[in-house]
Amino acid sequence: MRDKLRKWREDNHRNSEQIVDVGEELINEHASKLGDDIWIIYEQVMIAALDCSRDDLAWTCLQELKRQFPGSQRVKRLAGMRLEALEKYEDANKQYDSILQDDPTNTAARKRKISILKAQGKSAEAIRELNEYLEQFVGDQEAWHELSELYINEHDYGKAAFCLEELMMTNPHNHLYCEQYAEVKYTQGGLENLELSRKYFAQALKLNNRNMRALFGLYMSASHIAASPKVNATVKKANVKYATWATNQINRAYQVSYARKKFNNRLKLSENMVVVDVVSKPNTTKWTALSKVMINSKH
Amino acid sequence: MSIKLTTQAYCKMLLHAAKYPHCAVNGLLVAEKQKEKKKDSHSTPILCVDCIPLFHGTLALAPMLEVALTLIDTWCKENKYVIAGYYQANERTKDFRPNQFAEKVGARIAENFSEAAMIMVDSTRFTMGCYEPILTIYDHHENKWKCRDCNADCFEDWCEAQKITSALLEGRSYESLIDFDNHLDDLRNDWTNPEINKSVLHLC
Repeated sequence: MRDKLRKWREDNHRNSEQIVDVGEELINEHASKLGDDIWIIYEQVMIAALDCSRDDLAWTCLQELKRQFPGSQRVKRLAGMRLEALEKYEDANKQYDSILQDDPTNTAARKRKISILKAQGKSAEAIRELNEYLEQFVGDQEAWHELSELYINEHDYGKAAFCLEELMMTNPHNHLYCEQYAEVKYTQGGLENLELSRKYFAQALKLNNRNMRALFGLYMSASHIAASPKVNATVKKANVKYATWATNQINRAYQVSYARKKFNNRLKLSENMVVVDVVSKPNTTKWTALSKVMINSKH
Repeated sequence: MSIKLTTQAYCKMLLHAAKYPHCAVNGLLVAEKQKEKKKDSHSTPILCVDCIPLFHGTLALAPMLEVALTLIDTWCKENKYVIAGYYQANERTKDFRPNQFAEKVGARIAENFSEAAMIMVDSTRFTMGCYEPILTIYDHHENKWKCRDCNADCFEDWCEAQKITSALLEGRSYESLIDFDNHLDDLRNDWTNPEINKSVLHLC
C-alpha cells in the first residue's frame, strides 16, 4: 500500500478517491510501521481528502502535521489549501500573504494565490499574475503548462503556443508537449500553421511512435493541407502520401489492438477517412472546418 | 423541437462528470435516425438513446475533436443513429453557463441536425442521490441558444433514470467509464462503453 501511494505521489496522479481509501486505512491501522514516511503520507492524504470533500480526514492530517512541524511554511500552505477547499478565499489569501511576508520567494504560496483567482473565475487576473510569476521564475514548467491551458480556455491560441514553445525548448524529448503544440497550431488554422502542426505531430510520433493523437493529428493536418486550394501539386502529392501513410499506421494500430470481429468495424471507419488521391474530392467532412470556426469566433 | 433522454444517456453523462470532477468534460448525444419526416406541427420529441463521452481536461482544441466527430459520425451511420446533441460540464462547479466553445460545437451539430440540443451539466446540484435532474437544455432558435428548464418530462422515465444513475454512482461505476480521450490513450478502450450499457440494462 505504501508503494502504491509512493507511485501515485511520484507520478502526480490525481486519483483522490483511491488515495483516500488506501491512505486512510494505512494511517488508521498501520501508522506505527510507517516511520518517517508517515508525514509525507499525511500530506498526500490530506490533499486527496480535500479533493473528496473529506474535511474530517483533512483536519486530522493537518493537526498531526502541525504538531510535528510547528511553524512550517509547507504546513501553512496546506492549511491555506484547506481554507480554499472550504471556499474561504479571503482567509486563504491572508494565509498565503503571511507566508510570502516571511519568505517572498515561496513559489508554492504564489501559485496557490493564482489558483484562487482561477477558482473564482477571474481568468484574466490569473493569467496576469501567472505571467508576472513566470517573469521571475522562468524555469517553472508546471506554471508554463498551466498558463498554456489558461490561454487555450480563452481561445488565445497564439499565446498558448508560445508557452508550449518554452516547454519544448526545455524538454525537447517530451512527445506530449510536441503533440499539444501541434494541436494548438492546428486549431489556430491557416496553411502555415497547419504545416507547422503536421511537422510537430510528426516530431511527436518520432519521439513516441505509439502516440495515437500524434498519428491522427498527422493524418488530419496532412489531409487539410492536401485539400487546400493554395498549395501546388507537389505539396499536395506529398501530403496525400503522408495522409495515406498515417491511415495505414492507424489501421495497423487498430488491427493490433482489436480482435478480428471488431476490427472489421474499425477498418471501415478508418477507410472513410482516407484521402484517396489528389484529384478526387478530399474527405474534409462537415466537421473539419470546426477549427476555422473556433478561431474566427475569437477575433 | 424537444429532446428526451433515456436512462442510459443520462447515466453515462453523469458518470463522465463524476469520473473527472476536477476537469471540464464534454461529449455527444446520439438519437435514432427518424425514418419518415413528420409534416405535422407537433413533432414527437427526439429520443437521445445514448451518450458518447468525449474529452476531459482541455476541451478547446480542434484536431482530436474533429477525429472524434468523424469516427462517431461513421459509427452512427452504421448503427442508424444521428448525432443529436452535445453536453458539457465546466471545470468550475459554479460555472454552468455554456461558453463560446460549447455554442460553436452545438451550432455545428445543429447544422447537420436541426433539432440539436446543447446540454450543460449543473455541478452545484450534483448529488449521489440524483434527486433532481441537473441539466440545462438549450435549443437552437434563429442562431441563438434558448434555455429550457429540465424536469422529469425531459426523460423517457425519470424515476428509472434517477434510481439507476444513483446506484451506479454509489457503485463507483464511473471508474470504468471510457471516454474518447481514454480511447486515444489506449485503442483497446471502447468508447461505446458496452459494460456500462449492460449494467444499466441489468438494473432496469
